[in-house]
Amino acid sequence: MIRGVIVMNDRGKPRLVKFYEFQPAEKQQELIRSIYRVLCSRAENVSNFVKVDSLFGQDVRLVYKTFATLYFVFIFDSSENELAMLDLMQVFVEALDKVFSNVCELDVVFNFNKVHTILDEFILGGQVLETNSSEVVKTVEEISKMERAANSIKVVPSIPGWQGR
Amino acid sequence: MALSGMRGLSVFISDIRNCQNKEQERLRVDKELGNIRTRFKNEKGLTHYEKKKYVWKMLYIYMLGYDVDFGHMEAVSLISAPKYPEKQVGYIVTSSLVNENHDFLRLAINAVRNDIIGRNETFQCLALTLVGNIGGREFAESLAPDVQKLLISSSCRPLVRKKAALCLLRLYRKNPDVVNVDGWSDRMAQLLDERDLGVLTSSMSLLVSLVSNNHEAYWSCLPKCVKILERLARNQDVPQEYTYYGIPSPWLQVKTMRALQYFPTIEDPNTRRSLFEVLQRILMGTDVVKNVNKNNASHAVLFEALALVMHLDAEKEMMSQCVALLGKFIAVREPNIRYLGLENMTRMLMVTDVQDIIKRHQAQIITSLKDPDISIRRRALDLLYSMCDVSNAKDIVEELLQYLTTADFAMREELSLKAAILAEKFAPDLSWYVDVILQLIEKAGDFVSDDIWFRVVQFVTNNEDLQPYAALKAREYLDKPAIHETMVKASAYILGEYGHLLVRRPGCSPKEIFSIIHEKLPTVSISTIPILLSTYAKILMHTQPPNPELQSQIWAIFGKYESCIDAEIQQRAVEYHALSRKGAALADILAEMPKFPERQSALIKKAEDSEADTAEQSAIKLRAQQQTSDALVVTDQRTANGTPPVNQLGLVKVPNTSNEWNTENQEVTRANGALPVVDPQPPSTPSADLLGDLLGPLAIEGPPPTAPQSESIPVSGLEGGSTADALALAPIEEQTNTVQPIGNIAERFHALCLKDSGVLYEDPHIQIGIKAEWQASRGRLVIFLGNKNTAPLISVQALILAPSHLKMELSLVPETIPPRAQVQCPLDVVNLQPSRDVAVLDFSYKFGTHVVNVKLRLPAVLNKFLQPISVSAEEFFPQWRSLSGPPLKLQEVVRGIRPMPLVELANLFNSLQLMVCPGLDPNTNNLVAGTTFYSESTQAMLCLIRIETDPADRTQLRMTIASGDPTLTFELKEFIKEQLVNIPVPTRAPAPMPSQAQPISPPTAISDPGAMLAGLLTRWALNNRMRGLAGVKGEFYVINLSLELECLEKF
Repeated sequence: MIRGVIVMNDRGKPRLVKFYEFQPAEKQQELIRSIYRVLCSRAENVSNFVKVDSLFGQDVRLVYKTFATLYFVFIFDSSENELAMLDLMQVFVEALDKVFSNVCELDVVFNFNKVHTILDEFILGGQVLETNSSEVVKTVEEISKMERAANSIKVVPSIPGWQGR
Repeated sequence: MALSGMRGLSVFISDIRNCQNKEQERLRVDKELGNIRTRFKNEKGLTHYEKKKYVWKMLYIYMLGYDVDFGHMEAVSLISAPKYPEKQVGYIVTSSLVNENHDFLRLAINAVRNDIIGRNETFQCLALTLVGNIGGREFAESLAPDVQKLLISSSCRPLVRKKAALCLLRLYRKNPDVVNVDGWSDRMAQLLDERDLGVLTSSMSLLVSLVSNNHEAYWSCLPKCVKILERLARNQDVPQEYTYYGIPSPWLQVKTMRALQYFPTIEDPNTRRSLFEVLQRILMGTDVVKNVNKNNASHAVLFEALALVMHLDAEKEMMSQCVALLGKFIAVREPNIRYLGLENMTRMLMVTDVQDIIKRHQAQIITSLKDPDISIRRRALDLLYSMCDVSNAKDIVEELLQYLTTADFAMREELSLKAAILAEKFAPDLSWYVDVILQLIEKAGDFVSDDIWFRVVQFVTNNEDLQPYAALKAREYLDKPAIHETMVKASAYILGEYGHLLVRRPGCSPKEIFSIIHEKLPTVSISTIPILLSTYAKILMHTQPPNPELQSQIWAIFGKYESCIDAEIQQRAVEYHALSRKGAALADILAEMPKFPERQSALIKKAEDSEADTAEQSAIKLRAQQQTSDALVVTDQRTANGTPPVNQLGLVKVPNTSNEWNTENQEVTRANGALPVVDPQPPSTPSADLLGDLLGPLAIEGPPPTAPQSESIPVSGLEGGSTADALALAPIEEQTNTVQPIGNIAERFHALCLKDSGVLYEDPHIQIGIKAEWQASRGRLVIFLGNKNTAPLISVQALILAPSHLKMELSLVPETIPPRAQVQCPLDVVNLQPSRDVAVLDFSYKFGTHVVNVKLRLPAVLNKFLQPISVSAEEFFPQWRSLSGPPLKLQEVVRGIRPMPLVELANLFNSLQLMVCPGLDPNTNNLVAGTTFYSESTQAMLCLIRIETDPADRTQLRMTIASGDPTLTFELKEFIKEQLVNIPVPTRAPAPMPSQAQPISPPTAISDPGAMLAGLLTRWALNNRMRGLAGVKGEFYVINLSLELECLEKF
């Protein structure tokens, strides 16, 4: 199972944080800081694996990859294949690249909600959902279309929500 | 690129980006949170659009690390918004912000369900995603049928179905009952015929989860998995988009091979052959190419294939082929592949017969120790450590020593520990071992833990042949400039004991040895000075005839330290000073240290324990979560850092000065500043005996108890304290009891825990018997109340104090029991969940004017809900492996257990319904047992147990317990532990009982002490008592006389 996905920049600022097992805000930040400390000390041209026993316990692994100014990090347990996780990360980035045409950090910052949507098409409940980036891009475009459509029609907000019941 | 239609959000993000520092950022965030809070309060004017904007802001703020403790309801309420964008943000933000047990979430179940069963595909997807990410038990119960329907529906688009598959997986994990095994296994097999690779990938993940719990039910999926692999390997019918760098869906290949690893074996020869063909093709057809991504993908498949080959226990030829491949990998340029190559070689070592082939790659592995990547260096170290044996120990350890000087600081401690362990385990000769340890201290003194030098001292002490050599070595190191303090400690100790063996060598006269050691004194810390003082005293003793010059020199030093502010140093100085004036008597008192008892190496134990500790810690956490009220349970666990350092050399013969258990005698002498009285016959010292008794069974490696626990008299504060605890818990009303029970209540209870009928309680008036029948998670106990008198027993009352995990219904108990009559009261028991809490029968009656009240533990204990099961190797190992770690698999080193031969241990296990399965563990000192536990929450659940005993020390063992339920694993572990550890039961002298009317002292006499505790806080009290005993962990070996080490301070 994938425990979490973190995207942060090279100064340790989180850009996307998604844990598949609930973590309180404080704990999340602590993990992000510790991971950043490890990652920023790693040289180039080394492996993509880092030992994180002390942070997550014995069975948990971490792969990361740098793309321009961003670190992409997947945390997962021994039921996943390390290299397959790395592949998935690559496909995720390819999808971002297609959606934002040449993705850069700013795209991720200002469209963090869209990035969430894209991630949800790749991973669900800590499991690999889809591995075909074109399929994901197609789905995300459908969603964007719907958003635009919804915004253009003015619906009177009179339908009672869940709260009204 | 601006955010679609949400200017406010973009502006906020820009503001945050423009903040110069954290303080500004916090101010901006606080302002925004205040704003959102106000807007949410006056909700009336808020449009869905605005709500959406604020909720996205909340998520952004949350991601930045600020706690967002409001607005969750607004996020959840957006789920039922009519329009997609609002609904979407409701779903996404809820699944990031809200914990699965949040109350608001429960309220949203209906809205979510409406989206799932509705016709809008996009809404279905959103709902499935939320449930798949954070759905809890309640979601599982109310939504599973709908989700299953979507998954197998032929009218649904793959987009929805693949999400339904993973959503179902989540629900299954939350509550396995939602997937009906009988009905679902065929469906699962049909799902594997799916053409769409997206749906197939998700379904395969679902299968992995199902199979890992119950492979029996899914045998029919096995050939289908092999078919899927064949289809992918041959690249048949794989759409281009699912081909990644020319490899047909590596993810699906990997998942499918993972699923196959959960089946214990493949029996059908045709399926097996097809699978091996595919595997062979993967093994042979993968090359390292230039493109990194392609390499990653192709090797993901390859490494999974290797794992599957290892699992299937292929023929030796194929195994050698795998090792050859790995050997190639560890030398390639690609760091990821080097990393995984080393890791998989380590795994491969578990497979028999390949060690020798792996050894051929030793040179390359050693080279990997110098890899630029620390991750790889760590893997190489792990592998070298695992592959080391007598044949290559010398090479490997010397490499590690050499590497030590250049290794990263982060690795040095691990490195030196591992080198020390290997040197000890596989030393071809002892002098080599001494060389290695001294080199270790020289090269990495800061990273050499005390355990390491304690151990070398033990070795030297126990091996006479080694002593001159060690002394010589120690002397040589002292000549080097700027030696590490640990080296000063070790060499001073060794030279103090054995320096006199060098006397004829140049530079080794007592005086020379003294001066070279004393040169170091100004450079060492307070903790080392006591060792040096001991050494001086020993040197003095060994200098025969006495050298007046040396004597006055050393006396001057003692004199100087007699006023030292450090109590330990001061005391030693005073004592040595006084002792060394005693002349010949000195030789007796300061005689050479006796041999240390043979024991498991503390180092090796430490390495083993580090594994156990993590298991324990998580068990502690688990426990703490489950039962917050029972806070003391946590402290009952051994401290996380395991064995206290004092154990290593704590076996020195010193009357402890700083210990709380000091007998009064010593307290007094210390107060007076006078010397303790020297007793030349140590074992007969009364205090030593007492301590031996007290600490024996629980002290970790103490001498075997010379007398049973119960005989110890509560003299020390320790035992007195625990007795007080027990007494304090005695209910006040016990004083009404004036009737003495016949037989030992606790013993009767323990007997009934192992059999199903017998007497639970008896006194002159009544006999209470029990007969029980157990069936899975249910049981029926019949309580027999027999009046032994010729007069009726009146006001009979029976109350069941049931723990929360047991549902107990006692049928009506008559108020009067006629003379010489017996009544039967059936008691129905349902076990709801694993727990080792005990039910208590609070029973009272009146005989004449006496009210008798007893609280009796009922034998409805955990092992009653166990059914022994014999597991074969084929069943055991895959299960064992699949339950890979805490909290499902817990390990603990249990000490202070009642020593018993292995056969007896096996019998005990069998009588607890834990069926010992002989032959599973190749090591005959180990036991493997299987059982099925039944409760309403877990249903039938297989539990596996492995016990590793130490033939040299029967008071300790290591146990590993695994089951599919974390609570069960923990409870079962604790339960077994309770059965093994000798809990001292305060047996009291049976008071002569002339008449019933006489008040009895102590008042607790009638009640089973265990039952009282059970009624209140069973475990609390028992643990407390154990904790009290275990609290003094030291090893008090022989009290002879003052000498030695600084371990004392550590108490």
